Amino acid sequence: MADELVTLTIEGVPVSVPKGTTIIEAAKQAGILIPHYCYHPSLSSPAVCRMCLVDVEKQPKVLPSCVTTVAEGQVVHVHSEKARQARQGVLEFLLINHPLDCPICDQAGECELQDFVFQEGRSGTRYADYAKRFNPVEDFGPDILYVANRCILCTRCVRFMEEVALEPVIEVCERGDRAYIGITEEQKLDHAWAGNVVDLCPVGSLISKDFLHKARAWDLDKTASVCTGCSQGCNLMVDSRDDVVVRLRPRANLDVNRHFICDTGRNNYRWMNRGDRVEAPLVRQDGRLRATDWDTALEALSGLVKGAGEVVVLVSGRASTEALGWLARLVDGKRVTAAVRVPVGDEAPLPGVANLALRKERAPNGDGARLAGYHADWNTAVAATTAAALTIVLDAELSDAEAGKLNQGQAVVVLATVEDDRLDRAALVLPVSTMAEENGSYLNRDQRVQRFLQVRSAPGMAQPAWWVAAGAWQQLGPGRTAPTTAAEAFARLGETIPALGGMTYAEIGLTGRVLDGAAVGGAR
Amino acid sequence: MSSHAMAHGPETDEPVFTGKAREKLEALFPHYPTRQACLLPALWIIQAERGWISPRAMAEVGQLLGITPAFVKGVVTFYTMYHQHPVGRHFIQVCTTSPCHLCGSADVVTALLTHTGCGELGATSADGRFTVVEVECLGACGFATPILVDDDFIDAVTPERVAGILERYR
Amino acid sequence: MGYPHPSHPKETVVLSKYFGDEAARSFDGWVQRGGYQALKQALAMTPDAIIEEVKASGLRGRGGAGFPTGLKWSFMPKASGKPHYLCCNADESEPGTFKDREIMRWTPHALIEGCAITAYAIGAERGYIYIRGEFTEAIRIMQAALDEAYAQGALGSDAFGSGRRIELIIHRGAGAYICGEETALMNSIEGKRGNPRIKPPFPAAVGLFGMPTTINNVETLAAVPHILTRGAAWYKALCLSNPKSTGTKLFSVCGQVMKPGNYEITMGFPMKDLIYDLAGGMRPGRGLKAVIPGGSSVAIMTAAEAESALCDYEGIAEKGSSLGSAGFIVIDDSADLVYEIYRLARFYAHESCAQCTNCREGTAWTVKVLERILKGEGKPTDLDLLMDLAENMTGKTICPLSDSCALPVVSGIKKFRADFDRYLAGAKSPALAGV
Repeated sequence: MADELVTLTIEGVPVSVPKGTTIIEAAKQAGILIPHYCYHPSLSSPAVCRMCLVDVEKQPKVLPSCVTTVAEGQVVHVHSEKARQARQGVLEFLLINHPLDCPICDQAGECELQDFVFQEGRSGTRYADYAKRFNPVEDFGPDILYVANRCILCTRCVRFMEEVALEPVIEVCERGDRAYIGITEEQKLDHAWAGNVVDLCPVGSLISKDFLHKARAWDLDKTASVCTGCSQGCNLMVDSRDDVVVRLRPRANLDVNRHFICDTGRNNYRWMNRGDRVEAPLVRQDGRLRATDWDTALEALSGLVKGAGEVVVLVSGRASTEALGWLARLVDGKRVTAAVRVPVGDEAPLPGVANLALRKERAPNGDGARLAGYHADWNTAVAATTAAALTIVLDAELSDAEAGKLNQGQAVVVLATVEDDRLDRAALVLPVSTMAEENGSYLNRDQRVQRFLQVRSAPGMAQPAWWVAAGAWQQLGPGRTAPTTAAEAFARLGETIPALGGMTYAEIGLTGRVLDGAAVGGAR
Repeated sequence: MSSHAMAHGPETDEPVFTGKAREKLEALFPHYPTRQACLLPALWIIQAERGWISPRAMAEVGQLLGITPAFVKGVVTFYTMYHQHPVGRHFIQVCTTSPCHLCGSADVVTALLTHTGCGELGATSADGRFTVVEVECLGACGFATPILVDDDFIDAVTPERVAGILERYR
Repeated sequence: MGYPHPSHPKETVVLSKYFGDEAARSFDGWVQRGGYQALKQALAMTPDAIIEEVKASGLRGRGGAGFPTGLKWSFMPKASGKPHYLCCNADESEPGTFKDREIMRWTPHALIEGCAITAYAIGAERGYIYIRGEFTEAIRIMQAALDEAYAQGALGSDAFGSGRRIELIIHRGAGAYICGEETALMNSIEGKRGNPRIKPPFPAAVGLFGMPTTINNVETLAAVPHILTRGAAWYKALCLSNPKSTGTKLFSVCGQVMKPGNYEITMGFPMKDLIYDLAGGMRPGRGLKAVIPGGSSVAIMTAAEAESALCDYEGIAEKGSSLGSAGFIVIDDSADLVYEIYRLARFYAHESCAQCTNCREGTAWTVKVLERILKGEGKPTDLDLLMDLAENMTGKTICPLSDSCALPVVSGIKKFRADFDRYLAGAKSPALAGV
């Protein structure tokens, strides 16, 4: 179908959209949200909730805007008396059996039923004399509870499992006001992407056991970020309260993960709250690590780099591209063996979405590391530490054997988030922030640069790793000036990594940008 | 008068679709372009064999037709004629919707509950012989009050006729 | 088993000619009575010619919607390359309606012949006859008749030597009124919950298994052979009032009347004569109070409205109600009308598929309010509440089940206010004592 445009008026606003667009989508372009429950842009539209009914001039009945396509010259009213009354009717019907659970319901504060009732519902009930129907709470699977009483039967969960996960293990059962979402003993809700039904549920009917009664939605700070679970790079919203990360949710990105994240990524936040952190720069004197200031520490680091010929660099797959780029720049000119640690696991696709899976490469920035020159095989690099003059470790997880190998080397510098007393001969232990404590970026498997924002404050004197590397780099040459912000650190990566030349944070925004000439759908 | 005898036992591990039942199931396949479309007739086969449709049977038929147990459950619980638990040896359905109510179905219900010994709608008689339920319009409003006893559709039931009708099922 | 009455002289006997005649059930018996000539005639015509004939007859869907049948058939695509399907709607569950069962159990071959002709006309090689699960006797009789029809070559890969394939398969329902809605019927055949679908797309474009499909009621299909053998002009001339309502209609008269049964009358027939003449009028000492003429999903008519109405689509619409399926429920002055309306609301609440919020919750709430009123505990605001709920259940859903629940409630309150006031003043229904 050619891009034939249709012009219509919604709430007095003229809108031009491609032919075939639904009224609900066209309304978004007019800046108007038509209240709805069962509609979702990543699912089929069954038009069952009846919330999105709009008043279209010259039509005898109100029409469901989620399945009615635009017509030339249509005049649509979302807030006319007729449409508002239709919505108020639906809200009243939903509330008659919905329990007054707000005080104990996790969804409060981010509940679409609360929101629309507050906005347009009746102020009092007309159903007070009758009992509400009761269904018991059901355990649907590893992380999901179904509070049947709260269910409004929008069927988003059923459609997600059927159409997107392709594992239809839940389905509406019974008929009429006895209906509920049923599951059987044979198949629980344990699909690798099942947790998305909790986000999709407009109310507090499907809830996460992990998040149960943990925090109130209005206490949460919400920060845009990127998942660190694998190379897919799903966009996240990180929810934290008082600097403690309590929940991860998907952030919509139609080009990467649409509206979804996998359960592995969803659960991957506890490490962000670890307390066993290095908090001050530590320099070894007389066999003991002593706390010092950054100036002293950076001077010691630049000194070690200056005097080294062979350098091994071992980095975590979670390190930001900024950190990786500036660290590589610090040891530029040396004989460098640089490797990135990338754990592997089984792939778990979300079949209903193109190019979306929990990837085998279980690190977010393997591609960023490889772009920045970290090409060596990990085991080879670890073996090379015994002969190297200097080994720099950036937050990499080491096995006992690997730590042992490092202890046989000459000088070891650790840019550490967590303490590791196995490296008992490290010359310097410098505290760095995790990706949750800094602004930075990753490069996903499709060569998309994506920003993540700072969620919480770094502990003690910890600084971003790019700051540490650039600070030492500055001391090793005349006229060098280290970047002072993450934005600057990123913008100047192009000075050593041509593929990133000319890119800025402002231009990438929060949806990311694919590198020019990059092939989509990499092998990892 | 029933065209078949139904077993009404508790759930068993024995598969339903063996032998004749399997043949009947497979005879359905050429009638529909999808396996899923065989579900309603397949559920009737289960109910004919076992008298009711257990969770185990739902899983079995789901497996044979390529449907998840949850979806089978969604279908079984939607259609009220499928029994989700064992019922009396003879299952009696009596219409009480308005056209029949106008013609005295309430008295027919009373007579049925009394003569079967069930006492109340939905209950099974102590001797396990009968269950009586009220159902919605049976499509025989001009011959009030119609009842179904198992597969026997009986028109024009009156309280006076009830005892005689039930005799045939002793 | 119940036997139909002998025909009344004022009936126009076409479809019901052999009701009560057991010998009409067999293939040979049907052929002796002129059966299967229409199918042979049809197979020698082009599908388009058949569609034109049916259009010209003015036949309208007899299941309740009254949509022009020939026009519906003409919506089927001409050269889609996809398999077409016919669905015969024998789900007959509309309270008050009991005509399709009679057609099936007395003249099964009439239906088979109608289905076969229709299948051929719409380019379908296969038709499903969806019979509600409770119609055990009709299913047995229809299956036996189908077996005969295949054996005699009327159906199969080479129907009557025409080279055309016509297959008819019975699909048994399992207890869901909503499966009488044409799109829910298709979902039910597909092995799913009987949920109605959104329209558009319409069945002729995307229907059974996603293929072009036509769904017709039993009575509609049974009329088709007659239209072919006796001509569209003959059918069209069967008209006593409005030319848009032609042919005969089986009125399923039931309720509080002396001679309940199916009466076949020409469209436009006076309703008064149907009640007092054909159906024998009221029981001794009783007067007519109300009539629900179209199956229960229509507005209740007062006695005055019924006694002055003509029995066709337009005539009943003029009186504020609908012909619907012509499930004609007669209510006399001994009835508890409020209870009957409550019992109908209970029917709809039981049958709601649960998709649409308004229907799922609204029908159940309506039942609760009516129940409270019947127990003498109704509040003065309850009638306004019921009207409000009815408003929110009308024109807001995927299918008209909730509208159907609203109609008797609204018309009952508007036209029989005194009955409700009696309860609001404290009367208690004996039917609900102990509930």
